[in-house]
Parts: sequence; structure tokens; C-alpha cells
Amino acid sequence: MEEDTVIAVSFKVNGQTQRVEADASTPLLWVLRDHLGMTGTKYGCGIAQCGACTVHLGGEAIRSCQVPLDALAGAEVVTIEGLAARGGETLQHLWAEMNVPQCGYCQSGMLMAAADLLRKKPRPSDADIDEAMTNICRCGTYPRIRAAIKRAAGVAA
Amino acid sequence: MDTIELDRRSFLVTTGAVAGGMALAVSPAGASSDVVAAGPWGPDAAAGNEFSPWIEIAADDTVTIRVPNPESGNGTMTQIAMNVAEELECAWSNIRVVNASVSRDYTENHVYTVASLPFFSGHGTDRLRMARTFQLGASARERLKAAAAARWKVPAAEVTAKDGILSHVSTSRTLRFGEVAGAAAGIKLAAEPSLKSQAEWTLIGKKSPSKLFIPDLTTGKAVYGIDVKLPGMVHAALRQVPVMGGRLKSHKPEVALRMPGVRAVVVIDPANSRKTPLKDETSFGVANTTEVQHGVAVIADHFWQAKMALDALPVEWELGSGTHYRTQDDIYQGMASIRDTGEGKVVLARGDPASAKGKRVVEGEYLTPYADNAVMEPLGGTALVTADSCQMWCATQDSRQAYWVAIDETGLAPEKVTVHNTLVGGNFGRRTQAEDLRMVVAIARQFPGVPVKTIWTREEMFRQGRYRTPISTRFKAVLDDASGLPQAVSGDLCFAGDRPLFQLTQGYGDPPYFNSGAIPNVRLTTTNFPVHVLNGAYRGPCFNSNAFITETFIDECAHAAGIDPVEYRLALLAKWEKPWSDVLRLAASKAGWGQKLPKGEGLGVAITSWPMATIHNFGSVMATVARISISKQGVLAVKRVDIAFDCGKVANADAVRAQIEGGTLFGLNMTLNEEVTILNGAIVEGNYDEYPMLRMGDSLPEIHVHFEALSGHDRFDLMGELPVGPIGPAVGNAIYSAMGKRLRSTPFRKQDLSWT
Repeated sequence: MEEDTVIAVSFKVNGQTQRVEADASTPLLWVLRDHLGMTGTKYGCGIAQCGACTVHLGGEAIRSCQVPLDALAGAEVVTIEGLAARGGETLQHLWAEMNVPQCGYCQSGMLMAAADLLRKKPRPSDADIDEAMTNICRCGTYPRIRAAIKRAAGVAA
Repeated sequence: MDTIELDRRSFLVTTGAVAGGMALAVSPAGASSDVVAAGPWGPDAAAGNEFSPWIEIAADDTVTIRVPNPESGNGTMTQIAMNVAEELECAWSNIRVVNASVSRDYTENHVYTVASLPFFSGHGTDRLRMARTFQLGASARERLKAAAAARWKVPAAEVTAKDGILSHVSTSRTLRFGEVAGAAAGIKLAAEPSLKSQAEWTLIGKKSPSKLFIPDLTTGKAVYGIDVKLPGMVHAALRQVPVMGGRLKSHKPEVALRMPGVRAVVVIDPANSRKTPLKDETSFGVANTTEVQHGVAVIADHFWQAKMALDALPVEWELGSGTHYRTQDDIYQGMASIRDTGEGKVVLARGDPASAKGKRVVEGEYLTPYADNAVMEPLGGTALVTADSCQMWCATQDSRQAYWVAIDETGLAPEKVTVHNTLVGGNFGRRTQAEDLRMVVAIARQFPGVPVKTIWTREEMFRQGRYRTPISTRFKAVLDDASGLPQAVSGDLCFAGDRPLFQLTQGYGDPPYFNSGAIPNVRLTTTNFPVHVLNGAYRGPCFNSNAFITETFIDECAHAAGIDPVEYRLALLAKWEKPWSDVLRLAASKAGWGQKLPKGEGLGVAITSWPMATIHNFGSVMATVARISISKQGVLAVKRVDIAFDCGKVANADAVRAQIEGGTLFGLNMTLNEEVTILNGAIVEGNYDEYPMLRMGDSLPEIHVHFEALSGHDRFDLMGELPVGPIGPAVGNAIYSAMGKRLRSTPFRKQDLSWT
């Protein structure tokens, strides 16, 4: 780990410019949670395995635990808190209607991954879903996540 | 240790008598102990238009139901809202649920204490809990009617309530609940109203509302333990001794204290728990299962700073005697040795197995390993401790356990302690004992006057688990020459660990095979192997192992007898209650049992019950049939699972379906993938890269849940633990059917399944 120095970085979160002063190595995950108070993005593993911290960075779903503050200058970040305003309403509505989550802890990451998938592939195949949805859910909600994505896309379950 | 006061950022260090020579702290000046925080928890004293401590109805019609059972994904809080709403006749869309205050339960004469496990994260359809919550709803409804009647000057009997509206039909007048809630809350009824008959229910068993917290979850607003925010809050990162039972030898706090944002380095020693002189009021006790391990924690302004400083902190440990176990196999061999001494405690004896005669003898040794609950939300919580108070905000599986552990750790009077519960990001048993919350308090009380949020890293979670109890069992059956059924069964079981709380015989001592008289001679024993690695509750404690072992063994008996495994089980269940046979037949028929399959494909079956199979019409029973294929290279795919069950009746069918789907995948992951291993006494696996979890791309089975075998017996029994039981043995039995290889231990991923 490099020597940590405090830096100030400006970037956008859900369309709003934020200026964060923190240690340069601070991952976006913790910038969002601890510095900006946006706790919808979850810590699960810290090593890009579980996907609970998935956000959109420059329009791509990424694991926010892997992006340090010093890589964020000028970036555009969308989090679960901003998903509704960016085309996520259908997924959010179906998540509730289809009772998708159990404990729910992984689900903001799941929703961010699903929204990214549907933007790139509006009518995803099962293989597309398998490839895009690599997040871990301990409760075993995978069948409902798949069904909800398909329904959002208007493809047969 | 609660009196350290130093200037902020002065980096003065205090040690010695006050801190027991172990704590080094720098605490902020002017920290507030007067914290007001918002979250999904109810008030610690009466507030709002209360119809009871459970129900508040606001002027805007919002019905807030304060539930003592934390929500961890099984829908308990929503179920309790259904119970209340069934009688209250409010609009479902106006309901919100919050966690009831456990300290209020203590200070107000146990207003939230109902049934056994009154603060446990589940059991929303417990018979006593349903009765109480129906009554609370009915009472509130009648008081609303009385208030409307008074307003209109009509007899209360002429007022009706539906969907949150009070009506006087003959004069076409209506009022919203909220318009009279203030007056109604003050009304005392002369007599409690009688309840609807089940036939009159419109919600229970009729509708399947989704869990109430989901909309907030999908917008990032839902508050889990890790999400609590308090003014002036600081963050702690924790490291415990890598080998359980070891101690801290030395550390160099000055290294961490030099790093950005660091406020303090504290040492955790279980001997420093203050201990309450009172008799605790918990279900599990606050004794050794709630003890913390020795450790160090760094407290900093932000969690990342705390973690970075902890990573840099030089620490030396005295690892203790646990290092004696080079690998987990040392433990498993020790278990087998004790198991085979023949000196175990007899848990079931019937007839005389030694007298049995038969040409066919079936014998097997079975083993299930350590596994971690791997809950998605890390352990931890936030506590603010002062000289005379402790407030905690946390996720827990049992809020009364959390409360008493905080009392015990601080030594404070119960009235001085409050616990506020959040949503829970997964339990599966991991948060039953609250030893993680004792750690939260143990850290925070060394930084008094400031809210301290402690978060366990994933690595700390995996390596400091309270693991699934490993079980090693030897079974022997002598088959009757004529019927092929066992004339005698002997079993010797050894649990790893020395805590009786986590040594359960469900699935071993209670199956009807052994208790109904179907097998005339049975002798089952248990022993345990004391070891430093700590066990805990893991979804369906011990049942998750015993179900695999017993249902694999019975399958072996069926094959040895040359009898179809479904027919064999039906014969063994002939003297038992019919729903067992019904669920078995239904699962088998839906799965197409009996069809010819090519080599490399197979069907397997298992049937299990939770929580106590020996009692008639009690608990739930489930049969699972798995269809699998195995390539010649040994790649296993579970294609399809058919599940039938009986829990009496279902209150929310979709909630039951969700538990069965999720529990089946949990049990599948447990069987295929899960094991934590040991090297020189320490747990090896630290994160999900070393502990594989099923994901969507892992060719998951189609799961077909069949409701047609529900008996309709008047109970709404448990469905959280049960589904993890039958899936593993069903898959293992299918593997035998597909390729003739018998798997007597898990995880299957570590076993060679290739064939030619």
C-alpha cells in the first residue's frame, strides 16, 4: 500500500458534484459510506468477490471497493440512491412486487448489476444474466433475481 | 477504563492501572453523550397515539407496529404486521414496522415478551404470538370504532372498520383511522373483543404481501446495523487472536497512533467484562457462548483509516494450545476415536441391537465439516458507553440476548442500557449469542462518551466464526432377511466442541424410523470432542449434518436391501403419521421418480423434519427429490429439485416458498462447497475467494415447490431451518444412483466424481 496522503477530489455522485477530502487510498465504497453518508452501497468482502458494493462508474457496473479516491477526479458515479432517477424504477418496483430480497443486504449491488445489464442488453438471455450477475447472495434469492430481470426485460421466464 | 479523557489529537497516551495496562486511548473533547438518531427502531418509552406498546396510529393514518422479532429476511416483521392487520382492518399500505425496544420491555414489565424466544428473529406464526397480535389488532380496532361512535353520537355497534376507514352506514358518514386515533388511544374497553374465526380471515392464508422493507431497500434507505450514523461517531477495526483461546503477547500501538485519523488503540480481554450481578432474562444465557476472544482494535475517524492502521499495527500473539491441531483432520480423527470408544451417552435405546440377526449388514462412517455462516452483513454495531449508560445500535438475531450481553459487559443496571435494532443482513444462527455485540461494547467502553462503530472485516468474519458443529457418526444396520428393513440400527455420534448448546440430535435421535417402532432394535449414542475451535448455531444447528448422515445411511440400507429408496422409506414410515408419507409420495411423483435414466444421471430422495420429529403433528416435514447429472470428468450439475412439505397451514404462501427456495440453495451450497479448514490451529479461509459460494452462473437447479401435501392441521409451523436438511442427502443419493459412488462426507466439491 502506498503512503497515504490526504487529497481533495471532486466527482459527481448521482448528478451532484461532491468534493471529498480523505486519504488517497480510500476506496470509493468507504468514500460513499463514511464521507458522504450514502450507506445504500454495502461492504461485503473488500476484494471484489461479493459485489455488494456495486455502483456505476462512468456508466459501467464496478465493485466500488476496488476504486481508490485518487482515481475518482471528474468521475461520474451512480449509486443505489440515484438508481430511480436513472431508469431503475422498473427493477425497483419488481424487486418489491416479486418479493425478491430476503435479508436484502446484497440487493443494492444486485440491482446495480441488473440495471447495468439491462442497459447494455435490453433483452438478456440466461447466459447474459449468468455472465453479468456475479454477485453473491447468501439467502439464495437467485431464482427470483433472474425472474425479475426477465420480467423487467419483457422476456419469457 | 471508562474514565480516560485527553485532548483530541494530543496523542497523549495513557496506560497503567486505569486501563489495566492494555488500553491506549486518545479521546475527543466535547463528545456528546446526548445522541438522537433515527432508524427502524421504536421508542424506549411511550410515544405517539399508542394503542399498546406494539401499535401506534398517527394522525396521517400511518400504523406503526413495533415488533420484538428482528427482520433478517424471513419476513417475520411483515408476518406480525399481517397478524395485527388481520384484526385491525387498517389499509395494508399504511403499515410500517419498526423494531420494538427491548429495554422498554424490561422497564415496562415485559410488554413485548410473548412465547418462547420472544425476541428471536423469526417465528412470526408462533401460536401464542399470533394470538397476542390478533388481540392487539382487534382491541385497537374496537377502540377506533368507539371513538368514531362517540364523535357521531351513535352506538359503537353501528360503526364498521375496513381498510383504515370507519363508517356509519345508515348516515353515510366516514372517518379515517387517523382522525380519531388520538381519542381512540385513550379509550379503555370494558371487555376485549373476540377474534375472527379462521374462515373470516382475509389476509392470513389468503394473501402473500411482500416484505415491507423492500421499497426502502431498493432506494438505499434501509438501515442495517452497519449503516447506523450518529453525530461524532468514530470507527473501529478489529483483530482477534488467530488461534482461538490464545492471547495478546505484545503490540506497538504507537505505530498505529501515528497514522491518519487514528484516535486510539484498545485491547480486548475477556477478563475485563464487568459481569452483571443480576439473573439474565435471555433464552441462551450470557455465559461462555457470549465470550469474546482476545484482540486489539484501532479506533479512527473513518473505517478505512482504522483498517489501514490495524493492518500496520505490529502484534505478537501467544497462540496457545490450539496450535496442537495441525489441520482439521487431526480434529476429525480425534472425533472418530472418541466416537468409537462405545462410551457415549445413550440418547435412544429400544430393544437390543446385539440380538438382531440378518445376513445383510450396512455400515458407514459419515462426517460433516466446519463451515461458516458467511452472512453477508458483517458483524459489528455501534455503541456509546458512558460511566452510567450504554446505548447500542445493531443487527442481532435476538435483541434480548444483545441487551443482556451489553448489560453483562458493562456491569450497568438494565435501566441504564438501551439497544436499538436495525434490519439484519443475514443471521443463519451467527448472531444468536451476541458475542459479536459484546465485542462492540468492549471496544466502545474503552472510548467513552463517543459512539464507536465496530465493523468486522470479512477476513475477521471467516477466521473468527462460531462455526457449524462438525459431526462424525458411525451407523450400523442389520437388515431383516425377509423384509430388508433394518432389524437393528446402532449409531455412535461425536460432536466437535464442548458447548452443549450446539450439540443437537435433531435428525439423528428423532426420526420416526428410529422412534415409531418400525425398527425394533435401536441404540444411539453421542460423545463430544473438546477442541479450541468454537462452534455456534448454523442454520438448522446439527440437524443440517444429521439430516445428511441419516438420510444417506437409510439410502444405503435401501440399496443393500434391493428396494426402491422411496418405497423403503414409505415402509419405514408406515407406522408414523400420514403427512410424512404424503410429502414423500408427492415429491417423488412430481419428480418423475422411477423413470429410467442413463448412467451419469440420477434421482435421489431425502425426507427430514425440524424441529422435533418425535412429536406428532408438530414442526414441519419436507421431502426433496434431486435430479442430477455428472459428466465423465466428474462435473456435477443439479438440474431440478422437487420439494413437498407439511407445516400444517401456511400464513403467507410466498414467504414460505421463498424460505424453501433460499433454504434449498443454502443447503446445496453447504453440501457442495462449504468447509473451513485449519492450519496449526487457525482458520485458513479468509474471504469468498477461498470459500466458494454458488452464484447465478453455477447452473443452479430449477426448484419446484409443491404445496399439495399440506395437511391443514391447525398450526403454522417453522420453515427457516428445514429446507437445508433434505437437499444435501437427496443430491448425494442421486449421485449414488447416477454412478454408484457413495458420498459419506461433505463438501462434495472436494471429492472425485469422475467415472468411465
